[in-house]
Amino acid sequence: MTRRLSRETMIKWAPLLVLIALVIFFTALNPTFFSLRNFARIAIAAAPALMVAVGVTFIIVMGSIDLSMEGTVSLTAVSFAFIFAQLGGSLAGLGWIAIPLVLVIGGVIGLLNGLVHVKLKIPSFMASLAMGFVGTGAAILLTGGDIVKVSDATFRGLLTVRWLGFPLMVYVAAFFLFVGWFIQTHTTLGRNFYAVGGGEDLAHASGLNVTRVRVTGFALAGVFYAIAAMLVVARIGQAESVTGANFMFVSITSVVVGGVALWGGIGGVWNALVGVLIVNVIDNGMVVIGLPDFLQDGVLGLLVILAVVLSTDRKMVSFVK
Amino acid sequence: MSTFIKDFIERETVSRRNFLFAAAAGMGAVAVPGLFGGGSARAALTDPAIAWSYRDRASAYWNSVVSGGEAFVESLGKPKSALVSLINEGSTEKSLSDIKAFLAKNNGNCAIACDANDSPNARPIVEAVQAAGAYVSTIWNKTDDLHPWDFGDNYVSHMTWSDEKPAEQTARILFEAMGGEGGVVHLGGIAANNPAVERLAGLKNALKDFPKIELLDAQPADWDTQKGAALMASFLTRYGDKIKGVHCAADNIAYGVIEALRAEGIENMPIVAYDGNPEAVQMVMDGQLLATVFTNPHWGGGISAALAYHAAIGTFKPSEEPKEHREFYGPTILITAKDAAEFKAKYLDSVPAYDWKDFWGPSNGRIQYKA
Repeated sequence: MTRRLSRETMIKWAPLLVLIALVIFFTALNPTFFSLRNFARIAIAAAPALMVAVGVTFIIVMGSIDLSMEGTVSLTAVSFAFIFAQLGGSLAGLGWIAIPLVLVIGGVIGLLNGLVHVKLKIPSFMASLAMGFVGTGAAILLTGGDIVKVSDATFRGLLTVRWLGFPLMVYVAAFFLFVGWFIQTHTTLGRNFYAVGGGEDLAHASGLNVTRVRVTGFALAGVFYAIAAMLVVARIGQAESVTGANFMFVSITSVVVGGVALWGGIGGVWNALVGVLIVNVIDNGMVVIGLPDFLQDGVLGLLVILAVVLSTDRKMVSFVK
Repeated sequence: MSTFIKDFIERETVSRRNFLFAAAAGMGAVAVPGLFGGGSARAALTDPAIAWSYRDRASAYWNSVVSGGEAFVESLGKPKSALVSLINEGSTEKSLSDIKAFLAKNNGNCAIACDANDSPNARPIVEAVQAAGAYVSTIWNKTDDLHPWDFGDNYVSHMTWSDEKPAEQTARILFEAMGGEGGVVHLGGIAANNPAVERLAGLKNALKDFPKIELLDAQPADWDTQKGAALMASFLTRYGDKIKGVHCAADNIAYGVIEALRAEGIENMPIVAYDGNPEAVQMVMDGQLLATVFTNPHWGGGISAALAYHAAIGTFKPSEEPKEHREFYGPTILITAKDAAEFKAKYLDSVPAYDWKDFWGPSNGRIQYKA
């Protein structure tokens, strides 16, 4: 019994150990890696990806998958930029109303996503992938392919104003990470995600409205994608139809590397955090130690496989699909 | 016997029969177009259908190309919708199959402008167009051994842009702003893309005349704003204050670089970009960028469609034109602080009305291949 426990403990903490090992490795090769300024740079890059990863974590814990993040982030980012400009283009003025509005838009997109998946009985990866394309298409329609600038100094303060060395957007992301953690551990909904992911038939037989849990999960993920979208706009000062590009790879990779099992029921938002940090530390570290660019993609792939090998419990899995 | 195995055997038996049917149908389909005499060389077409085959509508660049194509069809007295968009979404297979479908639908009575998406794809496209008796002009992607004059009149022309010289000019402007010394970093496009290779080569050419400038690092930022921001942040960690100037392969990358520097409170870093997008031109006017380069995609889009169309209706005979009229460089315009306002007024605030029969006026000489 004790041996089994220790193995579980090992696997639980493996992603964090991988992260620490990476930090030590990069620091050994270039000491400037280990500096507050560099950690702030990594945090800026990681903050939007973390919000996407937290959103998709809920879905993956349910044993489903959500691939709509690229379209949803693009569409909510573009919507935010337009609504913000319509309302005067200043956070100090009426512009702040754009924030709750865009959270609602994100939630509605997620809700539609969930309804398509559950009501039309389309597998979640297909339903969400299709919804993602719809989102990207809508973003192209809105912008006509152009860039929408958001230059309001107050809103951009999320990037430019620092507190203890980190920009405000990092604290916003941290706050919503705690919100995610609260939902996961202190609400019925959060526990239900695990019930569905751990054994859907059982959850259903116990009287749980699985349909409602799934749809709510997708809507919640949509809200987190909208937060990510606004952080991206804060970070680069613009929204366009490709704002969401790359988030699918980064977020799914991060969540898996962090130790959330794709078959559901295992892991949570802390795993998402560690996973996002691992991916961003690798990204940053490879440049900082001066790894030639033609090796970087290959090394990233290998490190991801290594991290998954170390951080997920594959002994329990009978076959992998 | 398990149902799985039973189903499997059943399916295989059925599929053998289906295969025979499909094969018969396929042979028929191959034979049918032959009946309509595709492939026979035709004299001039009358009122050919006009199409532009390109990557996507999500970028300012391709939107501008298409707007040129639309301006051209409007100059013929047709509505904008007379220009058919064949959008390949970055898929080479889709690019070719869309064009084949367009040729089949119009029975070869077509004038097509296209970017083949990748170089090897240009040949099958041109061959399909020639076989159908239609006319095509290409831009950007083709292999060096593929030439319009090897296809009679049907492959009308190819236009590309040489980015090496303009990228060298932007580098010189950057180095002079740096006072001729210090470290510079280059944030490039997708490493294997031809424009990315040429824009870095231009920077390296300029370096030869500035011995005190050191190229600290050159890495791909994949034409992407967010990647540009993250890469610039990593460069700051690695090189810190040694970075005195930034050479970007595209405007989109420069936007990310500026934001990465803004996050650190760094202002007045000399930065140059490429593409001449409206936002970048504004940044040149505001002093955030030193220079960018405009390739006039609107003209390129219009003139490629015009060349294919006029060759098709017999306004000119491509095979009687000199080689520099069949393979040529598109225009490049360097934009710096002193001419940005004038440039904006001329090209961006109002789109100039081009003479779409002046096929080669703004072009930039015959394409030179490196041995």
